[in-house]
Amino acid sequence: MIVPIFTLRFNHKIFAGLTTVGLYDGKHPCLTCATTAGKILVHNPHARFNEGGRISAGTESDVHLLNIGQQITALTAGALNSNVNKDFLVAGTQTSILAYDVDQNADLFYKDVADGVNVAVVGQLGQIDCPIAVVGGNCSIQGFDYEGNDLFWTVTGDNVRAMALCDFTRDNEQELIVGSDDYDIRVFKKDELVSEMTETEAVTCLCPMSGSKFGYSLANGTVGVYDKTTRYWRIKSKNQVVSIFNYDLDGDGVVELITGWSNGKVDARNDRTGEVMFKDNFPSSIAGIIKADYRMDGQQELICCSINGEVRGYLPMEQSGGTTAPTTEKDVFRELSLKKQNLLTELKNYEKNVKAHKLPVGLEKSEIDGTPVGLIPANTQLLVTLDVSPGDANIQPHIVLHISTSNDTILRAIIIFAEGIFKGESHVVHPSPQNVSNKLDVRIFPQKDGVVDLHIKALVGYKSSVQFHTFEMTRQIPRFTLYIVAPDDTPEPKSSVVFHITERINRVVMWINQNFLLQKEIEAEDELNVKLICLRENTPLFVNMEPNQNGKITIKTDNMDLAGDIIQGLTTFLGIEDLQVTADFPDYLGYLRSVLEKVDEYHSTSEKLTAEMADHSNLIRSLIVRAEDARIMGDMLNMKRGYMELNTVNRDLISQYSIRCNNHTELLSNLKIVNQTIQKAGRLRVGKSKTQVIAACRAAIKSNNISSLFKIIKAGSS
Amino acid sequence: MDPLFLANSYFRRRRFDDCVELCNKVLQKNPYEQAFWYLKARALTEQVYVDEVDYDEEGIAEMLMDDNAIAKVARPGTSFNKPTTSSGGPSPSVRPTTQSGRPLSGFLRPGTQGGRPGTMEQAIRTPRTAHTARPVTSASGRYVRLGTASMLSQPDGPFINVARLNLSKYASRPNLSKVLFEYLFHHENDIRSALELAALTTEACQFKDWWWKVQLGKCYYRLGLLREAEKQFKSALNMIDMVDTFLYLAKVYVRLDQPQKALEVFNKGIEVFPGESTLLTGIARIYEGINDLTSAVKYYKSVLHHDNTHVEAIACIATNHFYSDQPEIALRFFRRLLQMGVYNTQLFNNLGLCCFYAQQYDMTLNCFERALQLASDEEMDDVWYNLGHVALGIGDMTVAYQCFKLSLTSNNNHAESYNNLGVLELRKANNEQARAFFQSAASLGSHMYEPHYNFSVLAEKSGDLHSSYVSVNKALTSFTDHIESRNLLSQLKEHFAAL
Repeated sequence: MIVPIFTLRFNHKIFAGLTTVGLYDGKHPCLTCATTAGKILVHNPHARFNEGGRISAGTESDVHLLNIGQQITALTAGALNSNVNKDFLVAGTQTSILAYDVDQNADLFYKDVADGVNVAVVGQLGQIDCPIAVVGGNCSIQGFDYEGNDLFWTVTGDNVRAMALCDFTRDNEQELIVGSDDYDIRVFKKDELVSEMTETEAVTCLCPMSGSKFGYSLANGTVGVYDKTTRYWRIKSKNQVVSIFNYDLDGDGVVELITGWSNGKVDARNDRTGEVMFKDNFPSSIAGIIKADYRMDGQQELICCSINGEVRGYLPMEQSGGTTAPTTEKDVFRELSLKKQNLLTELKNYEKNVKAHKLPVGLEKSEIDGTPVGLIPANTQLLVTLDVSPGDANIQPHIVLHISTSNDTILRAIIIFAEGIFKGESHVVHPSPQNVSNKLDVRIFPQKDGVVDLHIKALVGYKSSVQFHTFEMTRQIPRFTLYIVAPDDTPEPKSSVVFHITERINRVVMWINQNFLLQKEIEAEDELNVKLICLRENTPLFVNMEPNQNGKITIKTDNMDLAGDIIQGLTTFLGIEDLQVTADFPDYLGYLRSVLEKVDEYHSTSEKLTAEMADHSNLIRSLIVRAEDARIMGDMLNMKRGYMELNTVNRDLISQYSIRCNNHTELLSNLKIVNQTIQKAGRLRVGKSKTQVIAACRAAIKSNNISSLFKIIKAGSS
Repeated sequence: MDPLFLANSYFRRRRFDDCVELCNKVLQKNPYEQAFWYLKARALTEQVYVDEVDYDEEGIAEMLMDDNAIAKVARPGTSFNKPTTSSGGPSPSVRPTTQSGRPLSGFLRPGTQGGRPGTMEQAIRTPRTAHTARPVTSASGRYVRLGTASMLSQPDGPFINVARLNLSKYASRPNLSKVLFEYLFHHENDIRSALELAALTTEACQFKDWWWKVQLGKCYYRLGLLREAEKQFKSALNMIDMVDTFLYLAKVYVRLDQPQKALEVFNKGIEVFPGESTLLTGIARIYEGINDLTSAVKYYKSVLHHDNTHVEAIACIATNHFYSDQPEIALRFFRRLLQMGVYNTQLFNNLGLCCFYAQQYDMTLNCFERALQLASDEEMDDVWYNLGHVALGIGDMTVAYQCFKLSLTSNNNHAESYNNLGVLELRKANNEQARAFFQSAASLGSHMYEPHYNFSVLAEKSGDLHSSYVSVNKALTSFTDHIESRNLLSQLKEHFAAL
């Protein structure tokens, strides 16, 4: 337990997740938080009024507000200009990003960002020479240098929620880790996607730890640590994670993961085990955690802010050689004695078992030494099979998990633990006592394609048993589950993807058999022809391979995502590093064309509406001044008239505002579709071709060249 | 003579009324005569044309209700808002301040007069008492007047019915769109339609015409959409470097209260157009705004180096010399102004003061006489006030008293005169009278520290320590480093501690 070394209290609310610290004059750290009414609070206790010789009194005089005028959605600070040794503030709103020099009261740059700014980080990325401000919006990621030049652009599958810079591949270059609403954590090396991890909920926070480790948190209250693509640990809480940060709190040279929770708790966890090492409680939810040398004494403090404006700073725990050794010894001792305890219990059980077997047959086996035990035959086995069911009018298509025992023992209950397919990650089946049997079916409704590990625990015994045996087993659901072989008269899908690979047909067949949950294994000699139906959307999927024609593979489906998934899976399996395809999605492109037209329309409407609103607000302002003037002059009649007029204009303005709001949301959703299409077009390719496609699409959209965009999506280049 | 030739000739000779009349005649016969339509629109625009660059009027509403500035309390020297916090400026005890708390400049220009008032009442009352006619908003005020005046002169209705214009048709005709835009912008003052036309036209020319981008920026600026304006100006500058565009962009930053960024823009402009006097003046004005007078004068001098008839630069340098105790040099600059044909009260008034402080007494009164002859009613008060100063300087209290009284007759709200009258009354030991003068001076000129300090001294002498304490604090808020006030304050604190 450690006590804070300083506490501050601002009389301002602080928005969750929007805190940062910056050395705006190159020397003095300033705590910076977003607060209500589109304002940013900058606390600068060090460099105030050195010139004026005024003495600051209390915290309030050290706080000054910056007015952004729009709700702030992202806030960060960093040395954006490597020529100048100071930090710049980067503030994002729903429509723009502002990089601001706090010290000089001057903009660095201001840019409109149509996709909005959900999160921003500043730092060196990959091989780009200068530090950039990376901005994550709706499905897109942009990077700006200090002059506001657009140096980096790529797309992700969904709205970006969290970003972090971390040396993921251990090559002394920073990679960008992006967490998004579609439960994925993606790692970009420059604009190339290096790896992808799927989580169980929307990713809310990411933070770099030491080396290639990074911490993450999810919207369902999970927090954990990854090292590269392996997860070290994770824990789940019913509270929400607001902020995570890395800080070496116990002074052992390895950073801990500090987590701020929505119930006001702050805890530090070991990066390897997730063990809690320190805890503190705030009266209100945490808003942000950062570290800075805030007392200017050369030591970095951990600083936690709550949403009510309370700030506490902590120093690392005192650690001397004398105190560490006994604690380690004690820990080891405790661990060993726990092990001993477990082994003793296990031994006891074996002894009982032996006793039971020694008893004469026919005697009641349920009681030994006065304690009931549930004995079952030693050769009892648990059988688990997976099956696809097309469902009916009431039940959606699903996977059926058949679980049965090999003899007359019954299944009392089943606990399945799997990520992402159940609400709350686990599923318990506990039939009523009359219905217990040696068979149980569990329905699983996977929402999307993906590999899932099922950890099954079954309680096995006899009907009259009081104690049950637990059987544990793990089963993997293959990637593509809800597919069945299509009847012969299925119409052929209009869209297709064609590419060539130099691989034997058996390998492709093997991949299909491994990744699809099909009743019968597919076999093919010299030509592969698989016709499937996706049960989820009831759309056909045809896969065709002709080894005679240079290994030409044709995937016919109207679902661009599915085609992308298949290509990504297949190429990873076959170890293909670069693949260019010809994609033909006439329906989808038609849809995209209409979306692009709509985007244009919405853009021009919003321009018009903005001008109109500005005009109206000018009118309102003059009306207010006139009415107030009349009031001061005591001319009540005119004042009343003025305010009446004001009322009508105001009403107009409000209705206009709602129109504008609708327009904006529509625009955003359409832009999102465009970005997602680019992402999908990228997923149809692999390696360098993928990066090229995304960059070319971006260029086409920037120059408003729709026909070339379509060509790029089709052929991979313009 | 060919009517088109004649109309053109009228236009070039700036006889716009004749030109319009001639065009009207032709247009009555044939309303689709494009050349005449074009000429008439241009003539009407020229009549009311004001250069947008030098035109910046922040209305009461904008001043009070707009929050364009990012930093509320910026570091000294980085904001126009709180100029007195900057160090290095002249002391208010040497160089008097204007209402905004800024030292008196040599040149009156829009946007230099007002500080940000605290309340609506203060904001509305200030223009009534001070000699400023601040418009209600920048969208009303002079803009509207320009727009409506022209309508009256046309008995048969407006020349172009804006509501019925098909703007997209004009957008595709570059020969007409520009003149129509200028007409809408300057003459009709219908910024919204002008903006729409500009937006359509830029689209029609595929965003390749910098001129339209600048016009879009102008429209956005007028509508108060500063960020949009900034974007347009920047994009125009990317295509071609123009002095105007630099000036507009800097104006946007001034409005956003970012002097450093504005300076950056000007400096960039100067790299492209070295020695451009408008850009240099802009820099000097900004330095003046953030109270860095040394740099301001440096830039005014470089303006003069490139353009030796620049009135603003001469006047500002002269004022600076005058207040830095070099009236002889100031006199030379003022005389230069006189040579250049500036012939008004203010100049003679300043000349008179310079002569007085340079001990050329023979000229002093002559100059003031000339100033009084030229003065209109509004300017009379300042001349009499300055004459009062001269009288004080030669020790003639009676004349001084009368001068200040005369100043008050022409302007009943002249705070400085009240203050000085108070001092004179105090000398005569009419404490009650003096007190009343100080109080009215303080209430009229809230930006001045003198009446507060004087009142405080008076109250302290009469034993009213509390009022003294309140007033001295007020004096210190408008002039933080005033030594006498500080001494008085510490003295008062000692008194209170003793109690």
